[in-house]
Amino acid sequence: MNYLIDITLIAFGAAIINNFVLYYFVGTCPFVGVSRKVEMAVGMGLAVTFVMTIAAFLSWTITTLVLIPGAPLSSFIGSFFLPAATAQQIDLTILSYIVYIFVIASSVQFVEMYVRKFFPSLYRSFGVFLPLITTNCAILFACLTIMSNIAGVENPSDAWDLGRSLVFAFFGGVGFTIAIFIMAGIREELELCDIPKPLEGAAITLIVGGILALAFMGFTGVGTGLKDALTFSRQETVMNHPSTPDSSIIAANVEKAVMRFHKKG
Amino acid sequence: MITWITLALAAGTMLGMALIMSFVLGWANNKFRVEVDPRVEAVINALPGANCGGCGFVGCSEYAVAVVADNVPINKCLVGGESCAIELSRIMGVEIGESIPFRPVVHCGAHFEDRLERTPYYGEKRCSSANLVAGVQGCTYGCLGFGDCTRACDYDAIHIVDGLATVDYKKCIGCGACAKVCPRNIITITPFKAERIMAVTCSNKDKGKDVMAVCKVGCIGCQACAKISNVIHMENNLSTIDYDQYSSECLPDLLKACEKCPRKRLVFIGKPSEKDAEAAAFMEAPDIVEPDFKTTVDDTEWRG
Repeated sequence: MNYLIDITLIAFGAAIINNFVLYYFVGTCPFVGVSRKVEMAVGMGLAVTFVMTIAAFLSWTITTLVLIPGAPLSSFIGSFFLPAATAQQIDLTILSYIVYIFVIASSVQFVEMYVRKFFPSLYRSFGVFLPLITTNCAILFACLTIMSNIAGVENPSDAWDLGRSLVFAFFGGVGFTIAIFIMAGIREELELCDIPKPLEGAAITLIVGGILALAFMGFTGVGTGLKDALTFSRQETVMNHPSTPDSSIIAANVEKAVMRFHKKG
Repeated sequence: MITWITLALAAGTMLGMALIMSFVLGWANNKFRVEVDPRVEAVINALPGANCGGCGFVGCSEYAVAVVADNVPINKCLVGGESCAIELSRIMGVEIGESIPFRPVVHCGAHFEDRLERTPYYGEKRCSSANLVAGVQGCTYGCLGFGDCTRACDYDAIHIVDGLATVDYKKCIGCGACAKVCPRNIITITPFKAERIMAVTCSNKDKGKDVMAVCKVGCIGCQACAKISNVIHMENNLSTIDYDQYSSECLPDLLKACEKCPRKRLVFIGKPSEKDAEAAAFMEAPDIVEPDFKTTVDDTEWRG
């Protein structure tokens, strides 16, 4: 149950509250470049979601197995040359950037081949955008966030497991899709607007993106509220929290209010 | 010691990953290989790559696949024309059928002063918007003159001349973008069996009296031309040329019909042939004004 709440919070956080594009401003290049038409934007969003999930799976595996201090593979190899306690300290996280870029590039390549073989129509509609995902910093950002939640935590038991990482990456991609979809919808309307000459094209898109980000700032704090609500309801069901009014009292209050309303009417 | 071990492990990690990834990608490359017919590639290279959709397919690559796989005729490409068809026939090893160029014909001949019952229109200056408003001009069939076709044309081949869309047949390649965008569907893509063909430049299907009320030049459906020439017939009070029957043999009849037409709606359109140019050489016509871009900086010295 606790795990489920955690995952829900991670999913909501990645998709809406801390939206990759509109909160962290990563992946702005496809956000501006491919948001001219709604279909194309959705296609790009789906491709990014797909690649992001695969890259998260691979990078989580490599990070936990090789990169972090005390990772099974590196400390096993190190223990041949060093005492076991020292071997646990081997820290390869300096490799994270190059490893993640490597992983992303390869998985994009793999996905491209796979899609080309089995979904030719999808391949055609993706066109040039599929290889372009290689340079999408939103995916590298997802990988790095996952790493910081594995290597950067004080208590090893707080480190993200594979499920949390996958949920984070998948819903980060969903958040990207939401953002680019909204943007494409706005831009299709913008085509018909009388925009001042110097602001046409990418300039107005960036301004609109900024206003959109302001709107998404409204979600700030929803995370803690959601957490409170989820944990509260759990406590209530488990041990009948004393501060919650009894259901019969609520019913009586409602009846009173209805009576008052009828008298006035 | 730990530094060296870390360095060695880092190098080992990168090497190992490179090995694994290259193995996986190599395997995937073999496993997921898509057989592409080399002819498709050759056909794509031979096509102009305008992606105009004039052939009826989404783009040049789509047409190339259709040519190779489904034996679609090789002379569909309007942009590449004959030279492209020859190239495709060489690749595909098939004979070229008869290839007639298709060009747009604007079925309206009314300039601003010919149109009656016009009212000032203050909306968006586009045909698609103006077409939604009743009473912009009396004729509900004719050209609106806001130039949606001009904007749709990638080849600078159609312009609004005095309120009427006019095709520049020297530049036109016949992709049909203007015909698709026209909200009143007065532009048709027509087979040009000769350099210049006869066309009816009106689309008004109303009775003669109603046409006269809204247009000074519109076809009134008097049937004079249809009685003379057998390729012209009346459709909904509008004389229409049957281009399937059209050939050089019916030209004399058509010319007679052309003279008979009280509204002068039968006109020749298309590229002027060399003979026409020679014939018109002695006539007094304004010289063609070529755009002459000069600097706008005024560097004349002031002598006061």
